[in-house]
Amino acid sequence: MHQINKLVYYFAILLIILSINFFLPRVMPGDPLSYLSDPGADMPARMTEEKRELLLEYYGLDKPISEQYISYMVGIIHGDLGWSIYYGAPVLEVILGRLKWTLLLVGTSTAIHVPLGILLGATSAWARGKKKDTGLLISILSISSFPSFFLGILLVIFFGIKLDLFPINGAQTAFATYSSPFGKIFDILHHLVLPATTLVISHIGGTYLLMRNSMLGVLGEDYIMTARAKGLSEQYILHRHALMNALLPIVTMTAMTVGFLIMGTIFVETVFAYPGIGNLLYNAVLYRDYPLLQGIFLFMTIAIVGANFIADTIYVRLDPRVKNE
Amino acid sequence: MIEGRKILGSVGLGILAVFVIVAVLAPYIAPYNPHQMSRPMEHPSSRHLLGTNDIGNDILSEIIYGTRVSLFIAFVVSAISMLVGTSLGLIAGYFDKLGFVIMRVVDIFLTIPRLPLIIVIAASMRPSIWNLIAIFLIFGWTMTARIIRSEVLTLRSRYYIDATKMIGGSDCYILWRHILPNVIPLVVVQFIMEAIHVIFTEAGLSFLGLGDPVARSWGMVLHYAFECPIIYVSDVWMWWMLPPGLCIVLTVLGLTFVGYALEETLDPKLKSPAYGRGL
Repeated sequence: MHQINKLVYYFAILLIILSINFFLPRVMPGDPLSYLSDPGADMPARMTEEKRELLLEYYGLDKPISEQYISYMVGIIHGDLGWSIYYGAPVLEVILGRLKWTLLLVGTSTAIHVPLGILLGATSAWARGKKKDTGLLISILSISSFPSFFLGILLVIFFGIKLDLFPINGAQTAFATYSSPFGKIFDILHHLVLPATTLVISHIGGTYLLMRNSMLGVLGEDYIMTARAKGLSEQYILHRHALMNALLPIVTMTAMTVGFLIMGTIFVETVFAYPGIGNLLYNAVLYRDYPLLQGIFLFMTIAIVGANFIADTIYVRLDPRVKNE
Repeated sequence: MIEGRKILGSVGLGILAVFVIVAVLAPYIAPYNPHQMSRPMEHPSSRHLLGTNDIGNDILSEIIYGTRVSLFIAFVVSAISMLVGTSLGLIAGYFDKLGFVIMRVVDIFLTIPRLPLIIVIAASMRPSIWNLIAIFLIFGWTMTARIIRSEVLTLRSRYYIDATKMIGGSDCYILWRHILPNVIPLVVVQFIMEAIHVIFTEAGLSFLGLGDPVARSWGMVLHYAFECPIIYVSDVWMWWMLPPGLCIVLTVLGLTFVGYALEETLDPKLKSPAYGRGL
């Protein structure tokens, strides 16, 4: 029952997101096409009268709104997200072309971020109130005060320009020819270091604090006292009793973290001109390419909500207590 | 640990006080009008302490006036969000049927990722301070409403509430006199969380070029610096990027310290992962 409710709920969310995407350009001042080619924007997409007519017909804007809505939904189901004005290609195609880089960046960052956050959080909680805990807490709260784009800029300046250790833009060296496949892999990883580091550092606070709180909660439980009373070693209690139970909320958090990291790519990829979806979003904003902007919005939102849905589903299996609540 | 918390809180308050004073007294402190043009790309000198930008505005003056914009947006959004969120939270916690409806709306708002939606809306509106405030308000109230509601749910089952009911206290009276004062500490903590969130998001939107181009916030100063092609070539970043960036960091740090000190003092059980922000 619980599962079905969740499914209905997430389906409703999906409908709402699609509807926002449909109605947003239509409720904004001016008709959707003047909004596509807004002369007041920094960089309007130039449009001739013929192209305008063509677009009107293409988007079916001469038809009643209910009909437009249905054909929009049918289009979405078929993967039709519209036509990017700036890139002159279908929006979905443009997005999919960039997807691999964002996946690589978010995947790498998550793989580093989650274990690191767990480790730091658990360490902090285990040393509660001691210097180590306070020091960790204050340091992490402090680095969390850096907006990711500012942190990225600082890393570019120090590690990219001053020390010249890492490349500062792109995902691989342009027009490079590699002598071996390892050369290519090394080049890609070399480009990945700074963006991934920025993402990890600027988002570590969430996982750290959650793990610390969760662990503090667990350490106060009766079964920890029982374990101590039985004379089990501190190491054994830490690993078998405390850590395992404190990890439960992290499962949900990880999915949320993936969501945050996806949003974080908007800024990090912009700073590093990393050719993923976040950088694409920045270009869409810069050139006021609204169909592309909306397509990315839809794509990102569905990815994030989807990640949360998966987390919800897994969590119920891991912790059966949730079902009874 | 209690002492440490107090120190952190005081440091935070001190930082915030400085920025508030700068924001209020901006016209008296700033050496120039931020829109006044002189020679572009000047290096720091006694005339321009932080040099000038690509169109010849004095950067120090820009940052001082930017303090106003950034803090104003954060304050207005947080204040209105708390008013709306607290009211709806009180209603939702006290009246079951209304509460059910309000909470379903909150659930939906909290599930939809904020940032992409905010970017899409901001990109389709004229960039101005008031539009930014309006956009932030769409989401600002939701988390507060949820937190206040769950607190009201525990508060309303207390004996003294039953007692007040028995001697004929109306719902309004109970909410106003007995429940509201008890949730105020939570509201204060939420206010700080929301202010942090708004400062970050506003800086981020501005960095993407979606901020008010006339009343420039810190994020907007960073945007123009980032757009400047020679920013990394020389040491220009030192006076054009570092100061506005550090202003954002210090403000958020001040708020974080105050929030942390308050949070643990007011309610040690409070486990808000709100420090993990989406930026």
